[in-house]
Amino acid sequence: MRLRTSTILAAAIALPSAALAETELVMPQQDEPRTLSPAPSSDTGGHGPTSNVYSHLVVMDWGIVDGVAAYGDLADSWEVSEDATTYTFNLNTDAKWHDGEDVTSEDVKFTYERIMEKGYTFSSFLRDVKSIETPDDDTVVITLDKPNMAFLPMMAQGAQWTGKIYPEHLWADQEGFDTGPYVNEPVGSGPFKFVRWDRGSAVVLEANEEYFRGAPNVDKLIFRTIPDANVARAEFEAGQFPYLPFNYAPPLAEAPIFEADPNINVVYTPSHFSRDLQLNLNHEALGNPKVREAIAYAMDREQMNKLAFNNSWTPGYYAGVSSLQKWVNEDARFPGHDAEKAEALLDEAGFPRGDDGWRFSVKVTGPNISDCSAITEILVRQLREVGIEAELDRFDQSTWFSRIQDKQFDISCYFGRYGPDPDAYREHFSTDGARNFMSYSDAELDQLAAEANTVSDEATRKEMYDRIQEIVVRDMPYINVFEEQKTSLVRPGWSGFAVMPDGFNKSISWFGVYGVTGPDDAG
Amino acid sequence: MRLLRYFLFRVLQMFPIALFIVVINFALIHMAPGDVSILLAGEGADPDYMASVRESYGLDKPLIQQLGAYIGQLLQGDLGLSFRTREPVIDIIAERVPATLLLAGTALVLASVLGVLVGTVMARRPGSALDAAVTTISISLFSIPVFWLGLMLILLFAVTLRWLPSSGMMSVAGPREGLAYGLDVARHMILPVLSLTAVWLGQYVRLSRSSVSETLAEPYVTTARAIGFSERRVMTGFALRNALLPIVTVLGLELGLLLSGAVLTETVFSWPGLGRLIYEAILSRDTPVIMGAFLIMSFTVMLAALLTDLLYATLDPRVRL
Repeated sequence: MRLRTSTILAAAIALPSAALAETELVMPQQDEPRTLSPAPSSDTGGHGPTSNVYSHLVVMDWGIVDGVAAYGDLADSWEVSEDATTYTFNLNTDAKWHDGEDVTSEDVKFTYERIMEKGYTFSSFLRDVKSIETPDDDTVVITLDKPNMAFLPMMAQGAQWTGKIYPEHLWADQEGFDTGPYVNEPVGSGPFKFVRWDRGSAVVLEANEEYFRGAPNVDKLIFRTIPDANVARAEFEAGQFPYLPFNYAPPLAEAPIFEADPNINVVYTPSHFSRDLQLNLNHEALGNPKVREAIAYAMDREQMNKLAFNNSWTPGYYAGVSSLQKWVNEDARFPGHDAEKAEALLDEAGFPRGDDGWRFSVKVTGPNISDCSAITEILVRQLREVGIEAELDRFDQSTWFSRIQDKQFDISCYFGRYGPDPDAYREHFSTDGARNFMSYSDAELDQLAAEANTVSDEATRKEMYDRIQEIVVRDMPYINVFEEQKTSLVRPGWSGFAVMPDGFNKSISWFGVYGVTGPDDAG
Repeated sequence: MRLLRYFLFRVLQMFPIALFIVVINFALIHMAPGDVSILLAGEGADPDYMASVRESYGLDKPLIQQLGAYIGQLLQGDLGLSFRTREPVIDIIAERVPATLLLAGTALVLASVLGVLVGTVMARRPGSALDAAVTTISISLFSIPVFWLGLMLILLFAVTLRWLPSSGMMSVAGPREGLAYGLDVARHMILPVLSLTAVWLGQYVRLSRSSVSETLAEPYVTTARAIGFSERRVMTGFALRNALLPIVTVLGLELGLLLSGAVLTETVFSWPGLGRLIYEAILSRDTPVIMGAFLIMSFTVMLAALLTDLLYATLDPRVRL
């Protein structure tokens, strides 16, 4: 009798929710959005919802690894003037806001001008803009002060975080993009409309049937906040959602188990980022180029790959990553593993082993991401083998970031960026580059990097970036370790996620799900 | 009358203590490196933008001035605006409190009531096989990390058996009102409440067991038995009442920590409560939210301490307030 009651109870509790004919997609994400207004701040929890509600002028997605650095979203097409300073964008004439109003060129102008006026993050991509004009409702003309080859690709990349287009008719009377009724009830022109935000739980969106590229296949899109990676993985295995994004990915050592499971597709996606080491040149020993070279010899990428990544990552021996294809200079190569050579170089550099066996000490740190943690743990061991007294120094993300900005570090794992345009080298290695935490400075490189960004002839540009890579490998302020790779899990029957090749160039941003089709969608 | 005066005195006392806590918290938060401008500026980290964020949030002013402005604001009953969302801190916190109270409150009531019952029963059969078993189980429960237990419960009941939802407080597409909503939340509550109760239960069992058995050994209990009071009367009228004192102390302490005590459980079960809010706020250096939450928590602790003292006076006539 008792058993029967509990069985009935269990059955009642387990009653499945009514079967829905529509395609519902639940996307897990680690962080709760801060707001649903994308412009004022970079917001890891907000990028998913806002990228699907709002549209962009131009955008890119994982198609970048196939060589597409930018494609149009609101812009159907564009022309660039001969001198590479005037960009004329032709907007899609069918685009409408979710409240029914037409999207016009004025909206683009209004959004970009306010972003520049307020100094929001995206304004750094617009810093060369001289004027924005709107000759008619469907044309936007952006004029630059000087040619900037990276303008369009960088704008497309930045757009997916903080460069979305806002409706002027709803925001004109607001002080900024962080006040008023539409901050957390966004009205956009993207493939999904905002429905509801249950704080701490989920953001619910529904398909925009009037979307100018045609209604999406997914009818209901839900971003659920699941902070714990183990729980997200358990829920994925329980079939609660069809896609486990790479930031939840299981340790790669477990990949063979997933690959053997017929109910799971393991998706590997290359990227235009690397995992590398930044060396602080102000450090007594690291300031010596011989020591930096010795570290490159002491490092064993193959061992790291085996221990940390199940041999599935690509070691990075060049000052670039293979997804950048033609821009990689394969003649400039970092040294491979040779511990004896490392020891000899260290002796030569004036750091012999002391009585206790140590030459000098360094602290190794890195951002709070699992691959960097694995890399630095193994690196510490490899450095200790050649007599460098290395120790791990770990911080939460915000502390780590402020420390490397203040140059309070010796060696740090880092996520170097090489695309969408090779102008990225300037950001990393020029003397005043925003991501040059190493205090590296080289006059020839500074000049080359500044000039290469204004040269429109590709062959000439290629030569200049080849030389930059030679200089970087010669001086080794940083050492490339791996090409970044994302590992995501997908249920069979589902396709078109941004990380999958059939989602490339149609996802509408890294966070977009416009290309996704479920098992019940015909075609 | 005297009790009322005591009560008022204690409530008034809370304000200087709260001020002290505010100053300490403020100092601690600002000793941590990094500030909100880094997180708001994000990937690009444009120095000009970071400077403008600092300026607009008043972070460019000297610390002592920032503290003064904050206290002035507090005196007007204003907890300020969140750095991250630009919404009033009081609203953000108020939105999260019910979820935490529901989860932690239910678990605390279950754990303390069940714990005292089981502990009392065990105290009367010390050394029995059952007693040994219960003691072992309660020590194990007490030492299991709550996030691990939570994960195991999810694996068993949500993944393998699929009886219960694995996380969250309600079905995303489910009902939002009426009985159906209540049942939906109840289903989502089972696993987190179970894991939190299990972890808290152990200490109540152990505490009440030792406390009751000590009291039972007191001469006045022997006297009461010798007089011929029924065993039930001896237990409830004499022993339990005295044995409850240490339990009330622990309960009072935990009541004070109720709002923050479930951070791990809330994280594992994606429960939209205050603990998780604080955790997120700390990671993103959202100072107004951290300060506001700590302030409210310190008031709960002080209120709980006051309640405990009042309860003491009721239970033990020797305690005079």
